[in-house]
Amino acid sequence: MKKLMLMAAAGLMAMSLTACGGGNEGEYAGQTLHIYNWGEYTGENLISDFEELTGCDVVMDNFESNEQMYIRVANGDSYDILVPSDYMIERLLQEDLLQPLDKEKLDCFDKLDPDVLGLPYDPDNEYSVPYFWGTVGIVYDKNKVDLADLEAEGFGIFADEKYKGDIYLYDSERDSFMMALKYLGYSMNTADEAEINEAYEWLVSIVETMEPEIVTDEIIDNMAQGRKALGLIYSGDAAYVISENPDMGFYLPETGTNIWSDAMVIPKNAENPDLAHEFINFVSSYDGALDNSVTVGYTSPNLEVMEYLSGEEGDYYGIDAYIPRSGNPNDEVFSYDPDTRVIISDLWSRVKIAASNAG
Amino acid sequence: MKRFSQLAAPYIVWAVIMLLLPMLLIVLYAFTDTGNEIMTFRFTLENFVKFFTDPDFLLVLWRSIKIALKTTVICVLLGYPIAYFIAFSPDRMRNMLILAITLPTWINMLVRTYAWIGLLSEGGIFSQILGLLGFEETELLYTEGAVLLGMVYNFIPFMILQINTSLSKMDRSLMEASNDLGADGIQTFLRVTLPLSLPGVVSGISLVFLPAVSSFSIPKLLGGGQFFLIGNVIENQFITVGEWNFGSSISLIMALIMMGTMYVIRRLDAYAAGGRKEGR
Repeated sequence: MKKLMLMAAAGLMAMSLTACGGGNEGEYAGQTLHIYNWGEYTGENLISDFEELTGCDVVMDNFESNEQMYIRVANGDSYDILVPSDYMIERLLQEDLLQPLDKEKLDCFDKLDPDVLGLPYDPDNEYSVPYFWGTVGIVYDKNKVDLADLEAEGFGIFADEKYKGDIYLYDSERDSFMMALKYLGYSMNTADEAEINEAYEWLVSIVETMEPEIVTDEIIDNMAQGRKALGLIYSGDAAYVISENPDMGFYLPETGTNIWSDAMVIPKNAENPDLAHEFINFVSSYDGALDNSVTVGYTSPNLEVMEYLSGEEGDYYGIDAYIPRSGNPNDEVFSYDPDTRVIISDLWSRVKIAASNAG
Repeated sequence: MKRFSQLAAPYIVWAVIMLLLPMLLIVLYAFTDTGNEIMTFRFTLENFVKFFTDPDFLLVLWRSIKIALKTTVICVLLGYPIAYFIAFSPDRMRNMLILAITLPTWINMLVRTYAWIGLLSEGGIFSQILGLLGFEETELLYTEGAVLLGMVYNFIPFMILQINTSLSKMDRSLMEASNDLGADGIQTFLRVTLPLSLPGVVSGISLVFLPAVSSFSIPKLLGGGQFFLIGNVIENQFITVGEWNFGSSISLIMALIMMGTMYVIRRLDAYAAGGRKEGR
């Protein structure tokens, strides 16, 4: 027993030593902020600037998909900040995994674009502050694809045999079914099985006849190098592709698309909510948001940053993809419906099975 | 000696927690589903029925087994001569060669597979060489060939090392004896060397076939999202669909297939060993 006590004491001393060892000055010196964010989704200096400002240490883990993040959070891993997408925030809320924000501690709301505030998943922004936002559209090679085809066919261009073997699909069940449902003129939040099945049949017909490559982030480099004519892409990635390769264009079909947003939330079991609020303020500030948006290429919810970057001196001058479309009544925000989600993920894996059996 | 065996106690605890418990959980998950609000889970065979009555899944399973078989055959055909060459090299050279075979496996498999993406993609080294040779520049990535290449590349060291070990252990005087009794090189190889190295080939086969049939990262990276093997189906059930019960039952089915394969391979080996003894 005595030995155990000694060991515990030694352990405590070691811990307090490392905590002091940072040598940081600042209000939060010695504290740690745990962030769970998408990979390659922060500005070059965002984390180090925040550490310098507050004196805290930041530990950031990365995820590749909302679902991957969900599993860890639902299993009780503790983080102070998460950056999930719209529908996933709705799910986390439904499952009571988030804590309300303390608006007294936040000074960011007047800096943010009203278009990305008060969205259906969190109508009063009681739980979330937007991090990035954008749309999903078609990136295309202006030399290979006729804009008239895009305007006539919309997402249907992915089934146009003229472009057989020359297209990328995005390996995400939500975005693929969004594309199919929007092409067919339905709501992307439909729970109607007949509509979902029609979308499924359409996707199967594409993978069986069009020889698409189903990729994720590889599409960014590949389109920047002009390897294929067409691809389904997030607007922020398109902005990057176009800034690298001016031959590329970005098209949003008139039949509507997904207006998505990723937002910062504080989970219920966060250990340091105060520091988390500081972080939200910092990311939403002009400097933090500018750093994020310049490095990553996604649209900043900070209005001033968005205007600067799309203005004449900005990195994304003249690139439409950087400014999300507003005003098309067909555009929608994803909502979360557990039953439909399971059906759609199962159907999407069957689309991929059909694709491998066709190949 | 007995006192030392107590030192194994922590290892047994470790093995129970890290090996046995997860396996039991998979079995438990495989035979249950989430049930309703009153009972949090109930026992069922539905997951297995779902798998075996769905032609889509069976087709994927068949494709996975096929590609694992192809990988294994290529690994034997390529690995055997290499192992033979290594085993019959002078000592110092042999150590260097074994190091050269092992060295790449010190690097994480994902990193090495990512490297192949760069080599195989359009405009990469291989398509440029093909272009120079007068072939049309085609994309090599995202084809079955690319997946096969990735698998052979990742798993062949296990085959080479196993065969090399059994060739090195072999008593060389048997070959001399065979020569003295008038057998030529080919006869000696077929009737002495090859049978004696079969145990290495057999364990090499199990070390290649088993990881190949359940691999999911290689097909994902080199085959693209449209190249779906059974490992990807399982991953998908856990990560995106969120059906842990169904995912567990496919895992269990795979585990049983693998154990069956192991059993068959061991029996073949024992049979071959028996044949050798009778031949003496």
